[in-house]
Amino acid sequence: MNYWVQRLTASLMLLLAVSMLTFAAMNLLGDPLFNILGPAAADTKPESLEKVAAAKELYYLDRPLPERYVRWLGDMVTGDFGVQFGSTGQPPVSELVKERFPRSLTLLVMAQLLAAMIAIPWALISAARANKPADRISTVNSFLLIAMPNFALAVILKYVFGIKLGWFPLTFKATDPWLTRVYQTFLPALTIALPAAAVYQRLLRTDLITTLQEDFILMARSKGVGRRRVLFKHALRPSLFSFITVFGINTGTLIGGSLIVENIFRIPGLGSAIVEAILREDFPVVLAIVMIITTAFVLVNVLVDAVYTLIDPRVRR
Amino acid sequence: MSDTINRRLGPLFWIAVGWLVLISLLALLAPWLPIKDPDAYYLVRGERPPYAPSATHWFGTDQDARDMFARTIFGARVSLVIGFVAIAFGMLVGGTTGVVAGYLRGRTDRIVSFVFIVFLSFPSLVLAILITALLDRGLVTIALTLGVLAVAPVGRLARATTLSFAEREFVTAARAIGAGDRRIIIRELLPNVVIPMGALALLGMAVAIVAEGGLAFLGLSVEKGPTWGKLILIGAGSRELEKSPWIAFGPIIILFITVLSLNYAGDRVRSYFDVREIGL
Amino acid sequence: MTSLQTDGRVADGRLLTVEDLRTTFATERGPVCAVDGVSLTLDRGQALGIVGESGSGKTVLSRSIMGLLPSTARREGNIWFGDQDLLGPNAPDMSRLWGREMSMVFQNPMVSLNPVMRIGEQIAEPLRIHLGMSRRDAKATAIRLLRDVRIPEPDRRVDQYPHELSGGMRQRVMIAIALACGPTLLFADEPTTALDVTVQAQILELIAEQRAERNMSVVLVTHDLGVVAGHTDVIAVMYGGRLVEIAPTKVLFSQMRMPYTEALLQSIPRLDQKSHTRLNAIPGRPPDLHDPPRGCAFAPRCAFVRDRCREEAPPLATAENPDHKFACWYPVGSPEYHETKERISAGLEIGSTS
Repeated sequence: MNYWVQRLTASLMLLLAVSMLTFAAMNLLGDPLFNILGPAAADTKPESLEKVAAAKELYYLDRPLPERYVRWLGDMVTGDFGVQFGSTGQPPVSELVKERFPRSLTLLVMAQLLAAMIAIPWALISAARANKPADRISTVNSFLLIAMPNFALAVILKYVFGIKLGWFPLTFKATDPWLTRVYQTFLPALTIALPAAAVYQRLLRTDLITTLQEDFILMARSKGVGRRRVLFKHALRPSLFSFITVFGINTGTLIGGSLIVENIFRIPGLGSAIVEAILREDFPVVLAIVMIITTAFVLVNVLVDAVYTLIDPRVRR
Repeated sequence: MSDTINRRLGPLFWIAVGWLVLISLLALLAPWLPIKDPDAYYLVRGERPPYAPSATHWFGTDQDARDMFARTIFGARVSLVIGFVAIAFGMLVGGTTGVVAGYLRGRTDRIVSFVFIVFLSFPSLVLAILITALLDRGLVTIALTLGVLAVAPVGRLARATTLSFAEREFVTAARAIGAGDRRIIIRELLPNVVIPMGALALLGMAVAIVAEGGLAFLGLSVEKGPTWGKLILIGAGSRELEKSPWIAFGPIIILFITVLSLNYAGDRVRSYFDVREIGL
Repeated sequence: MTSLQTDGRVADGRLLTVEDLRTTFATERGPVCAVDGVSLTLDRGQALGIVGESGSGKTVLSRSIMGLLPSTARREGNIWFGDQDLLGPNAPDMSRLWGREMSMVFQNPMVSLNPVMRIGEQIAEPLRIHLGMSRRDAKATAIRLLRDVRIPEPDRRVDQYPHELSGGMRQRVMIAIALACGPTLLFADEPTTALDVTVQAQILELIAEQRAERNMSVVLVTHDLGVVAGHTDVIAVMYGGRLVEIAPTKVLFSQMRMPYTEALLQSIPRLDQKSHTRLNAIPGRPPDLHDPPRGCAFAPRCAFVRDRCREEAPPLATAENPDHKFACWYPVGSPEYHETKERISAGLEIGSTS
């Protein structure tokens, strides 16, 4: 129990530090009023002046910095992310987040699932045929995939599968039924999944090869366990640790990559929300999404730890 | 490919280095090279751009009839500079901080490590997005932003390497003959840390160049002038891809080969020096 | 007692015949012959000890007979198990024999058991694969097997993981796994080396007990002559990949012929020696198998070596007892042997020319 309390406290402190950094960026890089309202801050039109007043109140701009931070943090935690000044009617940011979040989540989950589904069989086959021609080719493939920038891969996949082969649609409608939406998310998810799968596969393959050299594998063979069963039942589980750790940590990296992919494939998720907000100079939205994504990232790492303990009985306390 | 520890750097390594030298030279000498003007419009009467690749336009032209080959070369200037400055900054600041933290340990180390972890807690591009959205989009700003982001990963590696070396005998020996901290860091630790950092520099540069591309796709890259990311972005629209894929694919190919070369070279350097490490 | 028999098995008599077995490994520095022309036989219920230093080829020999070698290994010769030649054109799929007809107990129980699988599952696995048992039956049999190998509270232990057991108990589990399907041949590769001295005796006792109850043949591979002394019927001595002496146990200890065997015996420290007596270690090191010597493999280290030993490798000759074979030009008891012995006693240089 002690361990978990420690872990959670550390994560909380981390989140605090992250929020401070984000807050500092917003308030110290340039004029906070400008950061929040955009060019409207300097405007003297009556609507703009109204906005300025509203902003000052909502963001406590007349108060000293530390107080501002605490109040801002309090708001964030209770789900009040401020208001979209750039849009008509100034809807709350939380509405936008609620609308966009599911799409991003679907994308991310699909991407990781695809990546695992590709990586595990790939690694098993490579490890079983280690250093033979098939394996060497696959190593080269992994390397190429990892080197390819994700936006470039997105463009390539979009061209090959979207345009030339026409397998996947390239436009999205918010009113599409759930299943269609999943189908639409497939290609972008694949873009994210392929390089990740290459990384996972490399790691898993190395660990599998190491495990296969362990004595208990020979012992299993000596019991009459067939090659395939040895691979799946004996070698796979102990080799998964690094893979799972990287899998979890990589979720964060994928979040970053998904931002770009969302924009290329025009998926209405948080990633495109950020870009639209930047174009509109609607910085509270940017800020809110940054905080949400980062918090998710930190929490995912804690979760990864938890899963780790469940899988390896030796680590259990 | 880093699975096999080779004693030699290998011929492919030199090919990769050759490419990097070539593209750097082309980028450096771009204004004086006998290539077309990247900003000029090479309209042909009676035909609407974009024009497909041909003898006059090796990479074709974009929708405004600008020569893609020239634009790619000039784009290299910006992208490579950003990559280089970013990683240089990261190495300088991150490297020194990491080494000092790893050597001094104690409180300094705890503080520095915490700072690193906070920075590393942000998913990759998110912090870059935040900063570039708030500041201007000049070349220097973007390069330095990426540089700041490089500090934490570089610093973490520098610290870890220093920690492993600081335990070794040659450091204790140096201390035994009365060498002060500063001398030990500079004379004993730094030369050994430089090697894995060299590999990281190559890999880091690839990451920085790709990061610039990513920022471009979010509309956050340098405002003036072509960069590889911006060029690809222009060519990536559905309509462009359908009718004139070369707009995107020209820069994609050059970018990919460059990033591949950097990755491969960095990987080989790491492998090569790993062997020495084991031999120690 | 858990015993499982099926048809087609050798009930009594000759179980294993190895004829001129040669195992070669392909390495970066060229082929290495780890087992060089070994022949031996084993009857049902017999215990054979294979003794030698590390690098003598004893482990490779046991694995070669069983067939548990990496893909870089090539075997030549014949291995008759029952009426099947395991190296012939109609050789069976070894996965069917492993665990069922022949099993192996490995040296280090800490690394030979799967750390993330429960004990019961690991014992049940061969039962389910070879005998098609259901999960429930297999678990019940596993508990019975744990009891046979004298593990207390077997129904609790069966659900535990290897790291929850002591070294001695883990080795017992290994034995239980090996015995699960009632094999006729058990290989024990240094089964006691990784264990405490007190536990060693218990494990050897356990193996002997099971051997008697199941009429099972045992091949005990070890570097420790003390281990084989009380628990084997026949002992084979390996050196440099070759079989240098083989004899019934009592005969070997009382009438050894090969100077190497004698040196091995003499290197064992004895209780009746004064304390601080220097150990009689055999000087030198085992041969490099990449570049095997032309003559007798032991020649560089033998106290009784003569020119012929270095030139020609001695063939296996038979002693008075027809079951006793050895490979030496000037064995223990020969005139040359006595000559050299006198010279050594007289304090002259070891290793003569003649």
